[in-house]
Amino acid sequence: MAITHTGRSIQDDNRDGRLFAPCRARCPVHVDVPGYLAAIAEGRFMDALEIILARNPLPSVCGRVCLRPCEDGCRRCLLDEPVAIAALKRAAADIGVYPAPRLARPIPGRIAIVGGGPAGLTAAHDLAALGLSVSIYEDKPRLGGMLRYGIPNYRLPDYALDRDIEYVLAHGIEAHTGVRIGRDVTIEELSAQYDAVLVTVGLQDSRALPIPGADKPRVLKALPFLEACANGESMDLGARVVVIGGGNVAMDVARAARRHHADQVRVVCLESRDTMPAAAHEIHDAEMEGITVHCSWGPREITGEDMVEGLRAVRCERVFDLERRFAPVFDEETVKEFAADTIIFAIGQGADIDELGLPVTPRNSIKVDPVDLKTSVAGVYAAGDIINGPTKIIDAIASGHRAAASIFRDLTGQGDTLESLDQESAVLGKVPDTMAAKVETRRRIQMEQLEHWDALHNFDEVELGYTEFEASREAQRCLSCTTGARLAVEKCASCLTCTRVCPHGAACINMGGYLYFEIEACHACGACVSQCPAQAINLETVSEEDLSRRVQRKLADRGMDTSLVFSCGHVPDTLLEAGPDFRAVQVSCLLRVSERSVFEALEEGASRIVFTRCTEGDCRFPHAQDLVNRRIHHIRKMLSEAQMSEAFLVTAAPDEDSETGVTTP
Amino acid sequence: MSLSDAFGAGRFAITSEVGPPKGTNVAEMLATAEMLRGRVDALNVTDNQAAVMRLSTLAACVHLKNAGFDPVLQVTCRDRNRLALQSDLLGAASFGITNVLALTGDHVSVGDHPSARAVFDLESVQLLEVIRLLNAGADAAGKELHGSPEFLVGAVVTPEARPLRPQMAKFGKKVSAGASFFQTQAVYDSESFKRFMEYAHQFDVKVMVGVVVLRSAGMARFMNKNIPGILVPDPIIAALESSSDPQATGIELTARFVDEVRDYCDGVHIMAVGAEHLVPAVLDAAGLTEGCIA
Amino acid sequence: MIVVRQKPLDEICAMIAGHRRVLLVGCNTCAAVSLAGGETEVDTLLQLLRLTNKRHGTFCELTPAVLQRQCEPEYIDCLQEGDYDAVLSLGCGAGVALLASTVGKPVYPALDTLFIGSAKGLARWQAECSACGQCVLGMTAGICPITRCAKGILNGPCGGVSDGTCELGDRPCAWVEIYERLDSLGCAENFDTILAPKDNTTRQICEWDMSEGCDEK
Repeated sequence: MAITHTGRSIQDDNRDGRLFAPCRARCPVHVDVPGYLAAIAEGRFMDALEIILARNPLPSVCGRVCLRPCEDGCRRCLLDEPVAIAALKRAAADIGVYPAPRLARPIPGRIAIVGGGPAGLTAAHDLAALGLSVSIYEDKPRLGGMLRYGIPNYRLPDYALDRDIEYVLAHGIEAHTGVRIGRDVTIEELSAQYDAVLVTVGLQDSRALPIPGADKPRVLKALPFLEACANGESMDLGARVVVIGGGNVAMDVARAARRHHADQVRVVCLESRDTMPAAAHEIHDAEMEGITVHCSWGPREITGEDMVEGLRAVRCERVFDLERRFAPVFDEETVKEFAADTIIFAIGQGADIDELGLPVTPRNSIKVDPVDLKTSVAGVYAAGDIINGPTKIIDAIASGHRAAASIFRDLTGQGDTLESLDQESAVLGKVPDTMAAKVETRRRIQMEQLEHWDALHNFDEVELGYTEFEASREAQRCLSCTTGARLAVEKCASCLTCTRVCPHGAACINMGGYLYFEIEACHACGACVSQCPAQAINLETVSEEDLSRRVQRKLADRGMDTSLVFSCGHVPDTLLEAGPDFRAVQVSCLLRVSERSVFEALEEGASRIVFTRCTEGDCRFPHAQDLVNRRIHHIRKMLSEAQMSEAFLVTAAPDEDSETGVTTP
Repeated sequence: MSLSDAFGAGRFAITSEVGPPKGTNVAEMLATAEMLRGRVDALNVTDNQAAVMRLSTLAACVHLKNAGFDPVLQVTCRDRNRLALQSDLLGAASFGITNVLALTGDHVSVGDHPSARAVFDLESVQLLEVIRLLNAGADAAGKELHGSPEFLVGAVVTPEARPLRPQMAKFGKKVSAGASFFQTQAVYDSESFKRFMEYAHQFDVKVMVGVVVLRSAGMARFMNKNIPGILVPDPIIAALESSSDPQATGIELTARFVDEVRDYCDGVHIMAVGAEHLVPAVLDAAGLTEGCIA
Repeated sequence: MIVVRQKPLDEICAMIAGHRRVLLVGCNTCAAVSLAGGETEVDTLLQLLRLTNKRHGTFCELTPAVLQRQCEPEYIDCLQEGDYDAVLSLGCGAGVALLASTVGKPVYPALDTLFIGSAKGLARWQAECSACGQCVLGMTAGICPITRCAKGILNGPCGGVSDGTCELGDRPCAWVEIYERLDSLGCAENFDTILAPKDNTTRQICEWDMSEGCDEK
């Protein structure tokens, strides 16, 4: 993907969706992040979930355990902290309700997918949604692959995984579990029965080091250990555990070991602290549970007579050579003994590939064409870690999409829709200084977690997720990159109101006297939209029509005296208790509620409209306050002319510190 | 007694003013004038003053003329276009009225018919030029008159206007347009008035200092706040405040002021604003007892 | 541009009362720029009228439309033939007039036309020109005394100015501003020229044909 600076207008770049926010660009499946954050900001969790599902069929999983490359790209990084994109994805999956699958008309074509992990589930989802008949073959008793058997429950509990799997299977997919390729059925046999076979078996072989003592009992490998954990088996690891490895799996293993009553868990790795492959937040979480990390040690021997007594390691001075090849250099003189009752290798996975009977690469992956993911056997495709080596879950999902697109095209001769987002796109540049100076600094909302002490007693999920309110507030931190103002030039009356209300100077006048929007400076506050007399400006993620539909739904079963509350955050309890029938519609800013929307809601049958204003400290768009005041004044004036003053009320949201009641005009 | 006689004789001229009634009963107006008989050279007759509708200034002038007074016809541009202004002026002249004071006039929106259309077809400077034309025997369209007036033409000036410079420039324009005498807005600071007169002396015109007799500190404050171009200094307000008889103090202060400036100007215009009965007392106190005997 | 503002609602309601089908027509030129007659304002007024009708139990079918400029016959031709029996125009007086001469149905103004003005920031305008047909701005440093002075004085400030403010209290004194600007431009002597009374015949021009006199042989 080309990273280009764009000084150009939305008209030039974004009509066709080719200009991405960095979060979306960095996501391997290009989930429309600004889109779903905008929905959550308005409390529309179902809409958010649908937006995510359009690109990622495993939101509950990714919301918890994705390594979130999106957040590294967040344009808020330079202002304060990235938006908690993954946690908000989880909120969408937890709070939203999964929609009924949208299925295309069935078409002929049967596909077998071997392996029920993220790549296989994704491909199955895509192909079934397109109308093909899909069967998944899984070796383990349940679907999920590494998601179920490789990631401990305290990070990804079964219920969270099952929610996604149920959604995928609801597309009419058949699942055959406990079927092992090579033992129960062969690829060749599947090829004969199906129009296409996709192999997504992942990396099932857990590596160990061939050092002396590695054959002792209580020397374990990561994957079998984690699988035993997943199956709820109880294990006696002794009091002291040493985990060998520096990646995310090592952290999972260490934390799981803590939950098996190991008091002292140490992670020993070859890499230095800076070059450890594990994500910083994963290391941090491990350390919070009392795990110590010992860097730059190379295991030499597992000591002990019959039983494990410890690990002897020597100082590792360098892991890679100048050409970034793996070539560790050791100082054999500096030796350290790590006393241990159990040692667990977590140094990587390999393919368990022989039984597949497919051609392999020198790196022991299945050999495929990188574009269409075809193996050299006709009708057989492969995707996920089995072709790429160890990657992120979201990369496996991307690979699954690609395989599905390739299979669909080969079977039907049509459709490039699934891959279209992979095409080269421009990425929005950084926040201009002028804008940065005016955006309110606001820290990320911290998700509630189990106390570390409590967490160590079981495999209960540690992170407890956002409440609806927290999620909306956190989503409101989003700068809504690329979803900002777009101008319909043919409708523009050139009144310049937009240039006067934009706090960031995003609405500009070019040399010819025409207006355009500087997309990098726009954070979609909607001030211009709300003031445009010609309705020439729109935001991508919100429209008056959408709002009007939401209002209609809210009022569908209204009573004789129903009040409709528009709020940009908390609706005060005092208000909800005050009347018999109050219904709230959350918007990300009251500017989104036009005079027309208010009158329409009254005509729709609401007996009263209430604006619940945010408090100054909570306000997402402080510059909009003045415009909201004008709006309120205008609505009051017009309703008073219509002798309906009593039908409009303005209240303040309760302050965190004080109890604010209802204030009538 | 007449204003032109006073100016002609180089005497310190004295004028005051009366307001026409709202209605047709002119008895009270004439009674007020009577209090001033023998003490003033001429009486200004206001023209729908402060944009409040009253009996016409021309009719009031005729009544006063018939009663033996020398009226000064105040003409504002607010209510009449250039045709009406000229025909009224000719009408006035035909009644033997010889003094005219040309004003632009207060805006209708400050008066009692605020929704009326304000005319202002001409304004003071242009009106002065039109009067000069009439005096010369022609109308504003250049048409010759059968019989023409011989008006003594006056105008007004605000010596303490803020800002002052544009007002002074306009003063010059009024002189150019034919004003031969000026009555000023009320002034209380003799030094400030003397500075104004230093400027005014470059022009060959008569200047009559305007005074309003203060009757209380409250009145002084009200004028400071509400009457453009009037500035009552704090010591005067303080004197009124501490006085046991503010009205007497007001008379005394006015007299002292007139005494201080009389050598610098050509006359005094006393605006009694409803307290015309005090005017003789002011004149007595200022020692202005001679000259203008009817 | 022409600055307009919406009439009070009851005045609008009284005008269209008795009509069953009313077409609301906005104007995307001056009226839109005045934030009073664009598509947004048409929709807003329409919705408010609907609400009012519902409240009063009256019925009137309201249809929105916006013309690029109501004072152009060709744009008015763009109006779709419709089943309406009156038009409510959200244009300036010129728009209302041209619509009324064209559509053959009663046309009512939803706006009042205020002045020719310039923008003073968000949703604020200032009167700048009275279309007197005889421009004096060259003598007055670009500040129109006909428009900005409450009395339209051509020869300097009246006695009503108070600390630079007009006696009406709602504006700075135009003549103080003219004087100061002339002074700052080094043209203070302009002030001393007595400007003659306006030739008001130019105010009576009711039609301007640029080709007037072209066919003289």
